[in-house]
Amino acid sequence: MRFLIKLLIWTVVLLAGLYPAYPLIRAEASVLADPAKYLLEYYGKTATLLFIGVLSLSPFKILFPKFELARDLNRHRRLIGVSSFFFALIHLGFYLVYTGGFTAFFEDIEKPFVLLGLSAFFLLLILAVTSTNRMVRMLGGKKWKWLHRLAYVAAILILFHQALQEKAGAVQTVYFFAPLAVLQIMRMGRLFTAKHKST
Amino acid sequence: MPASTVTPEEAFYNRRRFLRKLGLGLAGSALLPQGLAGATAGFPAKLNPKFDGAGLKSTDFDYVTSYNNFYEFSTDKGEVKKLANEGWETEPWSIQIGGLVENPFKIDVNGLIKKVGGVEERIYRFRCVEAWSMVVPWDGFPLKKLIELAQPDKNARYIKFTTFLDPKSAPGQRGRNIDWPYVESLTIEEANNDLAILATGVYGKPLPNQNGAPIRLVVPWKYGFKSIKSIVKIEFTRNRPRNTWQLLAPQEYGFYANVNPEVDHPRWSQASERIIGGGFFARQPTLPFNGYEKEVAHLYKGLNLRLHY
Ligand code: HEM
Repeated sequence: MRFLIKLLIWTVVLLAGLYPAYPLIRAEASVLADPAKYLLEYYGKTATLLFIGVLSLSPFKILFPKFELARDLNRHRRLIGVSSFFFALIHLGFYLVYTGGFTAFFEDIEKPFVLLGLSAFFLLLILAVTSTNRMVRMLGGKKWKWLHRLAYVAAILILFHQALQEKAGAVQTVYFFAPLAVLQIMRMGRLFTAKHKST
Repeated sequence: MPASTVTPEEAFYNRRRFLRKLGLGLAGSALLPQGLAGATAGFPAKLNPKFDGAGLKSTDFDYVTSYNNFYEFSTDKGEVKKLANEGWETEPWSIQIGGLVENPFKIDVNGLIKKVGGVEERIYRFRCVEAWSMVVPWDGFPLKKLIELAQPDKNARYIKFTTFLDPKSAPGQRGRNIDWPYVESLTIEEANNDLAILATGVYGKPLPNQNGAPIRLVVPWKYGFKSIKSIVKIEFTRNRPRNTWQLLAPQEYGFYANVNPEVDHPRWSQASERIIGGGFFARQPTLPFNGYEKEVAHLYKGLNLRLHY
């Protein structure tokens, strides 16, 4: 079962990563017109969706303990989280192509929108690097847990990064983040009532 | 021209549409390829040697007609072509000219083309505010000719353009994120500039729906969003009308929106541009006024273009 779940996650991640090959090979004019922009946007979105997915798993598990798939997926948070980082890295790579190289990149860095993305990226990098078993052991469970709360900071940075680039109302950002927000609020509500019951 | 003279023509087109709705007039419309049902008058158009785009390579027809910003249909440039050709009628189409003019009138687009003496081809650069660019062979006529027909009175200082409003056919207009219909405006001096045209075709064909059929503005020294599509109304005004993008995000998009490599968008640099259809790395420096400095710079003498972006 564990293996099947892992296979499922790998399949989803690989398919998501390779999907753009399809319109590129079919030479769809709207994709070939400005391929760097297309891929930049595509990998920004997939990175974000995977990240939202990871952060949704543990509240989901707590709120719906009978839902086995969530519990199984939850054991592979690391794999999903690192995939999200990897897509963010590809996103950054295509950003360099899209904006015209490093010189342009360094000139753009002061723009709040880019700075938000970059800060989120560095947090994702820290999370990915400290996600190995060795790192968990080195840091100790408590410190590691604390450090990995940075994921919530990253989520907020990504939210603003995505919202700021939307041109007419942050419609897509709301679609992306609303489920996560609802789950987190429900979990907090659960914690709150549990606390009050026990005192 | 008095409104009465155009009525027969409109009635004619309305009848054609009525027949088509009944399924009787299909033979004619079926001959038109998908998305090519705009204003059909004025073809073939002769190239105007003054605007032959010397040294420019026109962007492939496929890219010009498959990569379109037209939020009335979708914010996804790749979806517009499909959505704009699912029953949105661009023929017949009439356009209303009014406001501070001696001669207000309403006219069918094909009638208008005949009235201004047909269309000509011009090859222009097209620079989107999103830092990409194309080269487009347009067919159209100078906006100046329409201004002459309307005879603005001396109080008219601006021209306001309005796009169609039809949420039933245009799914993007069902969203409330933008205050539809889309509006744009120019100063009279800008509108009278030789470069400003009303386009009714690309590549010698009637404008495809996704490109703003049947009639749109083209002002090549400004960012693409100024070149408003599918115009139904042109009004002459005394005060400066606000344009849609300025209303939406005033810190990002101004009234003038002249192409300017020195003034960045808050999220990206405008110093260079990606060339549509050139693959991953095709890029060129952006030129002041999109390369039309000689023709238009005098319009903005003494204006601080950093403040008036
Ligand atoms: C490493 C630094 C980053 C840079 C320089 C950067 C830059 C960009 C740019 C230029 C865009 C397109 C904006 C536009 O079309 O106007 C974009 C969009 C986006 N980025 Fe980033 N980004 C970065 C990091 C991230 C990270 C870490 C994430 C999430 C994990 C992310 C998620 C997104 C999303 C969701 C979009 C919207 C895509 C769309 O819907 O079109 N970005 N980013």
